[in-house]
Amino acid sequence: MSAFTKHRPPRSASRKRRAAAAEPAGPGGQVRDGGRARRRNHRRPAKPVAGTRIPRGMRGPVAVSLLPGLLLFGTFFLVPVFVLVATAFARWGGLDFAWVGLDNYRQMFDDPVFFKAMVNTLFYAAASVFIQVPLGVGVGMVLALRPRGWKALRTIIFIPFVISGAAYALIFSMFYNPRAGLLNNALGALGLPGDRDWLFDTATARWAVAGTFVFVIGFVVVLVMAEIASIPTEMYEAASVDGASTWQQLTRITLPLLRNVIGTAILIRLLVDIGMFDLVYILTAGGPDDATATLALYAYRAYLNGEWGYANAVGSVIIVIGLVLIVTVRRTFRIGERAL
Amino acid sequence: MIDSGTVTIRRRSAWTNTLIYGFLGIVALLALTPTVWVMLSSFKTGEQIFTGNGFWPSPFTTQGFVDAFTQIHLHEYMLNTLLYAGLGTVGALASAFLAAYPLARFSFRGRNALVALFSLALALPLVGLATPVFFVVRALGLFDSQIGMVIVYSALQFPFTFVVLRAFLLATPPELEEAAMIDGAGYFTTLFRVVLPLTRPALATVAVVAFVNIWNEFFFANLLLVSEENRNVQLVLAGFKSQFGFNVTGAVAGATLVMLVPICLFLILQRQVIAGLTAGAVK
Repeated sequence: MSAFTKHRPPRSASRKRRAAAAEPAGPGGQVRDGGRARRRNHRRPAKPVAGTRIPRGMRGPVAVSLLPGLLLFGTFFLVPVFVLVATAFARWGGLDFAWVGLDNYRQMFDDPVFFKAMVNTLFYAAASVFIQVPLGVGVGMVLALRPRGWKALRTIIFIPFVISGAAYALIFSMFYNPRAGLLNNALGALGLPGDRDWLFDTATARWAVAGTFVFVIGFVVVLVMAEIASIPTEMYEAASVDGASTWQQLTRITLPLLRNVIGTAILIRLLVDIGMFDLVYILTAGGPDDATATLALYAYRAYLNGEWGYANAVGSVIIVIGLVLIVTVRRTFRIGERAL
Repeated sequence: MIDSGTVTIRRRSAWTNTLIYGFLGIVALLALTPTVWVMLSSFKTGEQIFTGNGFWPSPFTTQGFVDAFTQIHLHEYMLNTLLYAGLGTVGALASAFLAAYPLARFSFRGRNALVALFSLALALPLVGLATPVFFVVRALGLFDSQIGMVIVYSALQFPFTFVVLRAFLLATPPELEEAAMIDGAGYFTTLFRVVLPLTRPALATVAVVAFVNIWNEFFFANLLLVSEENRNVQLVLAGFKSQFGFNVTGAVAGATLVMLVPICLFLILQRQVIAGLTAGAVK
């Protein structure tokens, strides 16, 4: 739960792991570590949720204390959600307003561009689920074996994660550039045809966009490593004694125990992909011929055209797809009852 | 102290090690080559960038960095972004800490509903809310204003910050605060004198993550800002692409500097960043 208190994975974690197994899961998931109690296991709810009533005379201060959060949340989440739901059934450009029932949705389902955007969005989501997450899980598992230099490698592999979408767009517009880009120059140097305009050729555009983010795996890697740090070492020791190879330990012990965290990683990635905007907007503006456009970009175009009601109908579809994906992934990976 | 890790390493064959480093090396190469190449390009001349000749800068020049400040005025946008990220982080942390404490400690009517609502916001694809947020921001007179951006960013970072801080407080024993309250300390006295110091590690982790998130934010900046003088660095980066021909060396050097801010923060505060993200995800 509170992996953030003192996050100091593996090196000393093995000690903690052994301790954790020796005194199984106190209610706090607390683990004794050289006499200093330290909260580590992030998977177990730490404590039954506190049930104290508000002490006398503190109701006022508690209300005041909740106020800023309520105001921010109400203004920028609740009100927008209500506006979205209401105006998705209206023709609305800011001033003019007319109820139109389901017209926006009808228009959407009649528009081939909407379906293109939907398919592209799902394509990016699939690239995450089937390339990015497995790659991240693989790297996380290998790094958790703590080969020499694993810390430096983890740092290096994590760096792309803190680079913004806009910066990535600039990086890859240069990288894929047909004349001066590194990709074509490298291909040319290898004697391969090096003159393709990767981002603006309908055959490669979507893959080129996916190529910008599938290797940004740092987040999955650290999630996986934190999870592995909570697996009792005894399991590996026993396996070693029985003659299991590194490969067998990874596939038979580690991987099955990662089910939960893999589900979480997929979930978080899907939410990002469903709302994918920055990269596509800056890199290709959805082109060529909408081959890279996403739902978020499609909604944004409607907003720019002053079709706010229509934009909100698309927005509602994005949010509903997000919720459906969350429920599906949680079911599939049997993620615990933690709220997300 | 038996470290099982070392045991495993000793048992690993040369062949396994080759596989391990081969795999990690290829992934690192794929993940970083484009970025490193662009960063190196910030030391190249415009001609070398346009012709794409050579991986390394030759001739080596720092003119790009000079251009980034003298011609693009990057420092002005960096100051804007620093303002948004700094104050936005403070706003999110303050509101989330104030809300997380009572929602972690006391039971009252509507508490669970509130917690669920705040947490659910984490799972909302926010781009879907673009138009309504624009509408609300404009109605409040906060469109294209710096203070408006600070408020919006505080709100956007609130759910994540709240969820992590509340989880931390749930895992912290309440005895100290209870003692303080029994001794007659008021609610806010207890909150700031007793709880706040105990929460400092969690606050540090969420602060770094929130700061980096706001520094890197493009979508809402693009939606809610129009004036040149209010733009954040991500809007400037996005602008470089369309005016690529105009000052390519300054653009590439500028992009490098903008990227280096979160990268350096991460390198310095690695533990906090990783811990904060892990905690936020697993909730």
